[in-house]
Amino acid sequence: MSQMSASERAAGATEVPVARAPYFVRKKKGISPQSIAIIVFLSMCALFFCIPLYVVVVTSFKSMDQIREGAIFALPQIWTLDAWDHAWNKACSGINCHGLKVGFWNSVMILFPSLILSIALSMVTGYALALWNVRWAGAFLFLLFICAFVPFQIIMYPLIVMTSSMKVYGTIWGVAIVHAVLAMPVLTLIFRNYYKDIPQEIMSAAVMDSGSFWKIFFEIILPMSGNILIVILILQITSIWNDYLIGVTFGGLNGQPMTVNLANLVTISTGTTNYAHNMAAALLTAIPPLVVYFVVGKLFVQGVTAGAIKG
Amino acid sequence: MKTMRWSRISPQAALIPAVAVTLVAFVGSILWTLYLSFTRSRRLPEYDIDWSEWGRQYDRLFKDAGWEISLRNLIILGLGSALAIVFGFILAAMIDKEKRGESLFRTVFLYPLAVSLIVTGAAWRWILNPTLGAQAFLRGLGWEVDFNWLAQPDTAMYAIILASVWQSAGFYMALMLAGLKGINSEIWSAAKLDGVPLWRLYLEIVIPMMKFTFITCAILLSLGVIKAYDVVVAMTNGGPGQSTWVPAYFTINALSAKSNLGYASAAAVMMLIITLIVFLPLVALTAWQQRKGAPR
Repeated sequence: MSQMSASERAAGATEVPVARAPYFVRKKKGISPQSIAIIVFLSMCALFFCIPLYVVVVTSFKSMDQIREGAIFALPQIWTLDAWDHAWNKACSGINCHGLKVGFWNSVMILFPSLILSIALSMVTGYALALWNVRWAGAFLFLLFICAFVPFQIIMYPLIVMTSSMKVYGTIWGVAIVHAVLAMPVLTLIFRNYYKDIPQEIMSAAVMDSGSFWKIFFEIILPMSGNILIVILILQITSIWNDYLIGVTFGGLNGQPMTVNLANLVTISTGTTNYAHNMAAALLTAIPPLVVYFVVGKLFVQGVTAGAIKG
Repeated sequence: MKTMRWSRISPQAALIPAVAVTLVAFVGSILWTLYLSFTRSRRLPEYDIDWSEWGRQYDRLFKDAGWEISLRNLIILGLGSALAIVFGFILAAMIDKEKRGESLFRTVFLYPLAVSLIVTGAAWRWILNPTLGAQAFLRGLGWEVDFNWLAQPDTAMYAIILASVWQSAGFYMALMLAGLKGINSEIWSAAKLDGVPLWRLYLEIVIPMMKFTFITCAILLSLGVIKAYDVVVAMTNGGPGQSTWVPAYFTINALSAKSNLGYASAAAVMMLIITLIVFLPLVALTAWQQRKGAPR
């Protein structure tokens, strides 16, 4: 039987007769030694990929007494939520010991204005560059392409000065504005690439129909943008939530996002480290983007691939 | 587009914010930092340039042992992280060959990308803990392993590489899968008929066919490595000593910890130059791809 299936495969996987063969033949063909080897290998890799998540989850439910025994992979003897409670309500970030909930709400407050600012700005820009006759569009797109790759460090100090003069440095607004500025080049390029495929006839007809720039945008373009908007939304939610550098630079003491609180907690070198607290804090920080990822995984992949140049 | 000539103003007006942001926050800021790198600015900016020694910040930088370590670590991190591309390709090739469980494996291999590098760093830091982590566990099983990477200057970079590879392998897998899907499916059956062994098929046909994907991955990886900062902060915070400094860390350290604006600006300019060196092939590649795509 196996010989037969091998020759069939040699003739090409699309051969129809296989589908007509009795069930057990198909099954036997399915579990070739090669397939088993591949699946075993992939499963082992998958296990390796899951180790950190597993360790973080079990550690966050352990007591410090059990952690000191040194069995990092063991399940908790007694499942406890103490570490979660401590991380959320009492963990210290610098001199503030009000837990990660402070950073969590900061992150939420940063997220929404960042999303609205960055998406509104780059969507309109992408639309204008893709569908309207702007003579210098090509040069501007090239400039945006370069800006998308510029390391943050080279514009960091000027941005600090500018946000200070706008009186938003050290607030969540400062962080949100910088997010919007830094995301603008990449998002504009993505929107522009999406809109440039809109047939010219649609645009001509719309203009004939005495459609103005904004009327066409709100009545035709915006309703067509559902797919790309969701992809960009996921890309932006995860990258803004996971950002550390902008938050630590522009957040000051009162506008720090959750990642900054977590970094302060895990890198602290004084006193004894409570790993259960740290891991609960890490998990709390990771849960929002992980939820987004597991709910809309496919779109997440599209988002990160589109925003790949964001680095 | 001729019909649209009558409404030139609105689109141009709508572009004003983006142009302003580009010119002020990007172009202007880059020039500002470049200017500062020629000054003697320390805590506060100084705008006088002494032209007889305009390059003094750069002179100091090139003699700084910390900068040398940063550059060396940049190369180590780049070479080490390249494992993510190799690993990503192997995973993609296997998933592509064996369609079963494709979505499950993809989901598992990509989830690290959804998580902040600070979280990734915290998790690996804990796993690599010498007394309570994986090392203690494996020694308990009787294996004399040495996983105390984070505490030793010459191995601390390995820990950062491990975390980076874990985080990004899934991303390269996704790019490679997209590349593999674009390959004509007939070559598999043709190779089977000719009795070409699978490894030769990959090595001599599939990989050369995917060279565009590989180059893209390599450039993205390089750009990511230059920007690497979060993972260093979370794993080692630059330590032990200066052993895990990278240019991104060096620059921010010069600005925030040392309050040396002119020096930090010089380091930032060097980062930009390194980025441009990596970036130019990408521009060439894009142009090449467009020209190749044009006749069709």
